[in-house]
Amino acid sequence: MVESAPLPETFSDLLGLEQFGVAGEFLAGLLAAGLVGTFVLLNTAVAGPWAKRKITASFTDRISVNRVGPWGLGTIIVDSVRLLSKELIIPEDADRPAYDLAPLVLAGSALLGFAVIPMGNGIQVADPEVGLAYVFAVASIASLGLLMAGYSSSNKYSFLGGLRAVAQNLAYEIPLVLTGASVVIFAGTLQMSEIVAAQQETLLQLGPVAIPTWFGILNPFAFALFVVANLAEVGRNPFDIPEAPTEIVAGYQTEYSSVYFVLFYLGEFIHIFLGGALIATLFLGGPAGPILPGIVWFTIKIWAVFLFTQWARSALPRVRIDQLIEIGWKGLLVLSFANLILTAVIVGVVGV
Amino acid sequence: MSNPWIAIGALAAVAILIPVAMIVVSALLRPRVPELSKRATYESGEIPTGGTRIRFNIQYYMVALLFVVFDIETVLIFPWTVIYNDAVQAVGMTRALVPMLVFIGILVVGLGWAWRNGAVRWVRSPRAQRQKVER
Repeated sequence: MVESAPLPETFSDLLGLEQFGVAGEFLAGLLAAGLVGTFVLLNTAVAGPWAKRKITASFTDRISVNRVGPWGLGTIIVDSVRLLSKELIIPEDADRPAYDLAPLVLAGSALLGFAVIPMGNGIQVADPEVGLAYVFAVASIASLGLLMAGYSSSNKYSFLGGLRAVAQNLAYEIPLVLTGASVVIFAGTLQMSEIVAAQQETLLQLGPVAIPTWFGILNPFAFALFVVANLAEVGRNPFDIPEAPTEIVAGYQTEYSSVYFVLFYLGEFIHIFLGGALIATLFLGGPAGPILPGIVWFTIKIWAVFLFTQWARSALPRVRIDQLIEIGWKGLLVLSFANLILTAVIVGVVGV
Repeated sequence: MSNPWIAIGALAAVAILIPVAMIVVSALLRPRVPELSKRATYESGEIPTGGTRIRFNIQYYMVALLFVVFDIETVLIFPWTVIYNDAVQAVGMTRALVPMLVFIGILVVGLGWAWRNGAVRWVRSPRAQRQKVER
């Protein structure tokens, strides 16, 4: 594997920004952040909602957007103009600062998580030693945004939705983090680039096909647990009770309109893709793959995870709130502890 | 090697700038037609009754308390997972694994206790229980 420096250093070498000290570093960081942010938003804001409608339509045997442009691609632009030019209606008793901050917190925290994800070809904003812990920490700020939205809207549906969202995120955060920790036992580090590098060896040679030591192949049990916990963490079916439309209208986002609604919608999409990026990095070898460049493989992998969430959305019925709590605390938590100890024992005996 | 947190700070600036820019663009585009009844909260089209700060299920507190315990635990587990592989080679598997097993064991016993006392079982209100029996 080619050792590549994080993106800001590439920029600072290219433009000769070292001479400006910290300001130069910040400028290089801004350039890198702009590039990564554009890549993420291209996937989540531009392609994501359109793909979601197309995929759902295919699953339910319907025709989806096809009027504006080829395959309805023009709908993306039409929709963004339509949503941004809607009137912003703020409910009477809204708790103002919290009501306005919630969409910012949700969208911002999701985007921040992408800082340490290695996307191949040296595209990575930063590579701190505590990379994995950082992603979990930043991604869970979203719970705060959801609670703020639910509480400050002064609507009973929003309130219940916010509470449900937090209860769900709390219940599934621990299995998620513990399963991530079982990957760390294999890799022996929290640094994302090292975790990816640890998955590059060949496990088995089957003729021309080399099966790599991706952690999803080494430990499929942890992979399954992580995917399920991730579904709950991003609030997709079967765990979408925080915004269950048949029970509590739209949950925490009931009272949000116009650009605030766009930010909520965007934040959710970025979270789904962040979950996909985490799954790809921890279990599917990150940007690794034959022939094609790393960034292409990385994009394919996160879209595969996105397709899976959409499949789950179309195929699986929603669980009830009491079932959700019991699956989380009695099922996944116990299983993730078992997975952690089992992994430790196996690694200790085999000695990876 | 430059400090990675500067670049993360730059991304934080971008992550705030993009939503703020969207809000500004929208503020320039959108109409503003103030009208009082518009601002009523949505309650299935009825006039909203009562306050929003209603009494809600105690279960939300119970799981939040449990979460605090287990979240601190995961924070303590992470350093162990990082050094585990080296520790097995240095001092052997028993000395690397058993202290963590004891630590996790104590917490699992705690989870079992919470489980037995119904902290992770969804509590139904007496009224909901009655309705279920009548049906």
